[in-house]
Amino acid sequence: MARGGGNRSRLLLVLLLVSSLFLITLDLRGVNLAGSIRGSVATVFSPVETLFSRLFSPIGNFAGDIRNIGQANEKIDDLNKEIQLLKSKEILDEDTVGQLNQLKNILDLAGRGGYKVVAAKVINRGSSATFKETITIDVGSSSGISRNMTVISDGGLVGVVKSVSSDTSVVLLMNDPSFKMGVRIAGTQSIGVLSGQGGNSYLLQLLDTTGEIKLGDKLVARGSDGGRPFVPGVPVGTVVEVQSNSSSITQNADVTASANLDRIALVAVVVSPPKFDPRDSLIPKPNPTVTVYVTPSPTPAPSN
Amino acid sequence: MVSRINFPINGFSFYIATLMVVLSLEDRTGSLVFGFIGGLIMDLSTTADTPFGQWALVMTIMGYLFTINKESIGDYTDAPIAFIGFVSFASAFSLLVFVIIGTLLGQQIGGIFRNISLIFANTIWTLLIMPLFLPLIIRVRKALLTSREK
Repeated sequence: MARGGGNRSRLLLVLLLVSSLFLITLDLRGVNLAGSIRGSVATVFSPVETLFSRLFSPIGNFAGDIRNIGQANEKIDDLNKEIQLLKSKEILDEDTVGQLNQLKNILDLAGRGGYKVVAAKVINRGSSATFKETITIDVGSSSGISRNMTVISDGGLVGVVKSVSSDTSVVLLMNDPSFKMGVRIAGTQSIGVLSGQGGNSYLLQLLDTTGEIKLGDKLVARGSDGGRPFVPGVPVGTVVEVQSNSSSITQNADVTASANLDRIALVAVVVSPPKFDPRDSLIPKPNPTVTVYVTPSPTPAPSN
Repeated sequence: MVSRINFPINGFSFYIATLMVVLSLEDRTGSLVFGFIGGLIMDLSTTADTPFGQWALVMTIMGYLFTINKESIGDYTDAPIAFIGFVSFASAFSLLVFVIIGTLLGQQIGGIFRNISLIFANTIWTLLIMPLFLPLIIRVRKALLTSREK
C-alpha cells in the first residue's frame, strides 16, 4: 500500500512537472496563454485595488514616517502651520493637499513639454516575489492608454506602460533591472544608455566616444520613433559619480533619478507626444544667486 | 495592503508564506497539488513578467520537497516558533529556486546582491509578520478542509 502510495505521488509529481514545463515552453514560444486571463484578473481586481489603496494608504504613509522619524520634528512644525492655515480657509486633509500639489506639478511639466497626458493614481505596487519593479495605476484602455506609453511624475520619468486592461495598467518602473532607455546629456549631443539596477542607482553608459560625462550632468530622454516608448525631453536623472576606467571603451557613470520612485502616488501617462522636441527646457533651472562684489576703498595716507 | 507598506530594503510576500504554511500541513498528494495550483495562481498575477508556468514549476518542486521530508517535518503546529522559522526558510528557498529557474531560462531578474537582499528581507519580514497571521491561517485551513479530512 505504501509502495502504491509512493508510486502515485511520483506519478503525480512527474505529471505536474511536465505540465509546468509545457506551460513555460508554450509561453516562451509565443503562445500567449495568460494574457487574456491576466487582463481579466486585472479588470476584476481593479476596484478592489482602488478600494484598498484608499483604505490603506495611511498605513503605508505611517510606515514611511517611522523610517524618517529623525526628520519628523521639522515636519511636525511645518504641518502645524499648514493646519492653522487650512483651518482658516477650508478643511482639507494633508493627503489631498499633497496630491493636489503633485498633480499641479505634473500638469505643469506636461504643459511645458507639450505632452498630452492622462493623470492616474498609483493603486498598487508590484510584489517583491516577482523581482520586478512595477506599479499599477487606475487608468487603462478605456482612458486611451496602451502599451509602451511613457509615464511621468512631477520629478520626471517614472517608467513605461507594460500591460493594459480596461481600467488599470501595469507600469514597469525605470529602476527595474530589465529597464533600458536612450538618454542625452542636457546641453550636449552626447547620447548613452541608462539601465536600471533594482535600487535607487542607475548606470549610464555613454555611447559617444568623444563626449564626456561630468559630475552633475542632467540627463533627458532621447526619445523614440513616434514617442513610443519614450517621448523626448523628459528629465531622467543626474550624474552623481563618474567611473573612470582607461581600459573601458564606453564611459560609465552612476545616476540618481529625477523622480522619487519610492513615494509616488500620482503619475501621468503621455498619450500623445509633443509636436516639437522640448530639448532641455524641462530641466529644472537652479535658483539664481546674487553675487555682490565689494571693492575696498583705499585707506588715505596719514598726513604729517 | 501589504504592497502599500514601503518596507525597508523591500517587502515580503504574504501569499508565498501562506502557501508554505498550507503545503507543510498537507499530506503527500495535497502538497503537490496545492503547490501546483498555488503556483498557477501566482502566474496569473498582473505584475508577473515571467513565463506562465514558472511559479507553478517552483511551487511543484516545493510541494515535492515537503512530500519527501514529511516525516522529518512532523507536526509543527505544537512548536509555533519552529514552524515560523521553517515557513520563513521555505519562503526564502522558493524565491531562490525561482531566481535559479529564471536564470536558466535567460531572464533578466537583476544582480546577485539585489536578489540576495530581496530574499533576505523577505525572510526577515516573514519571521516578524507571520506569527500574527499563523493562527488565523491554520484555523481557516481547518475550517475549509475539515470535510475532506473527515
